[in-house]
Amino acid sequence: MSHLEIKNFSKQFDGIKAVDHVSFSFESGKITGIIGPNGSGKSTLINLLTGVVQSDSGVMIPQYNQTTLSITRTFQEVRILEQMTVIDNILIVLTKRSVWVSIFETQKEQHFKNAKKVLEKVGLWEKRNELAANLSYGQRKLLEIARAVAMDATVYFFDEPFAGLFPEMRKIVTSLLQELKKKDKIIVLVEHNMELIRELSDVCLVMDSGKVLAHGSPEKVLLQTEVIETYLGK
Amino acid sequence: MIPQLILNSLIAASIYSLVALGFNLIYSTTKFFNLSHGVVGLIGGYVTFYFTKTLGLEIIPSVIVGILAAGLCGYFLDKLVFRKLRNKHASDMVFLIASLGLMTALQAGLAIVFTNQFKLFSIETKTIHFFGLMITYVHIMTLVVTVIVTAGLISLLKKTRFGKMVRAIGDDVEVSTIVGIDTNKILSRVFFIGSAIAGVSGILSGLDVGLGPNMGLSLLLKGVIASIIGGVGNVYGGILGALLLAFIENIGAWQISGEWKDLFSFGLLIVFLLFRPQGILRK
Amino acid sequence: MEYLLHLFILISICAILGISLNLILGYTGLLSITHAAFYGIGAYATAVMMVTHSFPFFPSLLAGLVLSGIFALGIGSILSRFSGDYFALGSFGFNIIVSSLFINLQGLTGGPLGISGIDRPSFFGFVFSDRLAFLALAIFFVVMIYLLSQWIVRSSFGRTLKAIREDEKVVQVFGYKTLHYKLAIFVIGAMMASVAGALFASYSSYIDPSTFDLTGSIFVLAVIVLGGLANTKGAVFGAIFLVLLPEIFRFVGFPSALAAELRQVAYGLTLVLLMLYRPQGFIGAYKF
Repeated sequence: MSHLEIKNFSKQFDGIKAVDHVSFSFESGKITGIIGPNGSGKSTLINLLTGVVQSDSGVMIPQYNQTTLSITRTFQEVRILEQMTVIDNILIVLTKRSVWVSIFETQKEQHFKNAKKVLEKVGLWEKRNELAANLSYGQRKLLEIARAVAMDATVYFFDEPFAGLFPEMRKIVTSLLQELKKKDKIIVLVEHNMELIRELSDVCLVMDSGKVLAHGSPEKVLLQTEVIETYLGK
Repeated sequence: MIPQLILNSLIAASIYSLVALGFNLIYSTTKFFNLSHGVVGLIGGYVTFYFTKTLGLEIIPSVIVGILAAGLCGYFLDKLVFRKLRNKHASDMVFLIASLGLMTALQAGLAIVFTNQFKLFSIETKTIHFFGLMITYVHIMTLVVTVIVTAGLISLLKKTRFGKMVRAIGDDVEVSTIVGIDTNKILSRVFFIGSAIAGVSGILSGLDVGLGPNMGLSLLLKGVIASIIGGVGNVYGGILGALLLAFIENIGAWQISGEWKDLFSFGLLIVFLLFRPQGILRK
Repeated sequence: MEYLLHLFILISICAILGISLNLILGYTGLLSITHAAFYGIGAYATAVMMVTHSFPFFPSLLAGLVLSGIFALGIGSILSRFSGDYFALGSFGFNIIVSSLFINLQGLTGGPLGISGIDRPSFFGFVFSDRLAFLALAIFFVVMIYLLSQWIVRSSFGRTLKAIREDEKVVQVFGYKTLHYKLAIFVIGAMMASVAGALFASYSSYIDPSTFDLTGSIFVLAVIVLGGLANTKGAVFGAIFLVLLPEIFRFVGFPSALAAELRQVAYGLTLVLLMLYRPQGFIGAYKF
């Protein structure tokens, strides 16, 4: 898959245009960063693209379905499965999405191995049988990221994965993102922190009030943004 | 035949809309389906029955006592159970199960105190004929009372400060608390008012057809269906839903048989859940 | 001794109901307030097959399984589109409808008077007529259903069910058609409940609609909430406790009609107190 194209995505909530006719083309092997002030529609856009919220309009090419285009993501508010173990949180994205197949699961060992690999990368393997509810905030975030990364998907959406993480943990997440890049995946990174976007993204989108204000290479776009922000005194 | 059908439907719809009114009021503020609503209304009916038939009090004071009893019952259920659950930030399921438990215990309690026997306590059974239609005094009272109570509640919600606070809580509980509204106090009153209205429906229903401990359930079910098909949490929706429910039920009973009334109500609910789960009117 | 055997049989039947509802509610998070309806469908199917058509017990049980599966498929496919409150209310209504069917389809079900004269099971000539034999049969079914339940819970399918309980939206985002899973477990649970119904019908030889109405569903709910949701052993424990507890009323000498209502009060209060002070029940595996 070389790119994911989105055309004309919009969503209104009670008359407010949270996302206003957004179109873009996300390329594989690149990290596309999305930045913008609070309320600019970044998270809503991700929610529209991942099916969490129904969009008012918008087309994705190719269409999202498990066989041609699979999507995985993390959430800004960290949605892990609290009353389940750490390893179950990973295994849930690895098993086949079919009632019949999952009753008669045959690939248990393979899934287990894959879960082990990714949990070791984030340092949660020792806690694999702990309930997710008992983890610290940083560990919860890492678990969520591990869950997203464990799945072999086409498009990866990360919604503020670095927020609240200590520097050592941030390094882990960065290396995971780099690995995904090497595998030629499509990676979308929503972040609040301009430094991270500058450092990590290959292409950058700036959103404000539901619209795409600017897009291009991080240096070019962020310079524009800083100018706009200084001008508008945000 | 048709005009009588319409009249019968209007009368049934009145009872249903009273239940839905209280139910919606409680739902719109607390955001949970209070399954004990029906039996609390029934308590109003039984208390009125007790005061008028057993103690020999005049009907009007008995009715007032009955309404107060229902209101107080709801008030105490809130104070003793639901408020505590709110403070614990309990999940929806916890509220539902708790209200289910209350419904069961109260219904059985009524059966213990008043036995399972059906109680009749009509005060005036004369039927009036006008324009070829039949109607009883109780039916006339039902229509009149429903209009008064509904109008009263709507003006309470729209025109008073209390009503404003109720609507604020319905929109956003946290913001309301921050702004300084004593949510627990307002909610206690909401429970009182909603339960009192349910009591009215229990009394009217009892005067019309009599009382049995299981009636709380059927009142609840009709009220819930009317609320859902009308649009949960919406006062006007409950009225529309009640009208639609009553009409469909009566048409069904006319065409097929009275025993299958419940099936028609449920069928209507299913149709709405399948095709328009948000109901006729949105919140 | 006979009395003890009687209690154990009731506990076994109750345990089957609890284990099966637990799969739906405890593990998948669906508040189903209609379990007694499937209990009843199993009981009536067995009763009608055995009394009216002279079928032996085991084929009748099978007929009950199929019938409740069909009903569950029907109502389940509508309810599974929802969660939480609407699922609960819809199931609540369904129980009321099925109850009224049991009462009104007089030609088939005998109406409020029910069906009597249901025989004990016979298997290649051996009749489970004495209590000890029937208890053995009942325990056999409990064990089978217990093992089946554990197998489901430990499988990938079970993991998805738990995930649906935790956060259905996330499960959907990751590509699962959660409706299918909810429907599947609803049907499985309903079919297990019908086994309990078949056993009950054959054991007590007489059934009537009052056992299978809403109060029955609320009873099963109380059993698993008391024992602790999402725990198969908890369901068994709850069954033991809630079957034995009301026997105290009988010993103290209350007349049986009053005892029945007092039992209801007890079940209702149990639920309320549990919700207020210990929603995770006795075993406490799952906090909700």
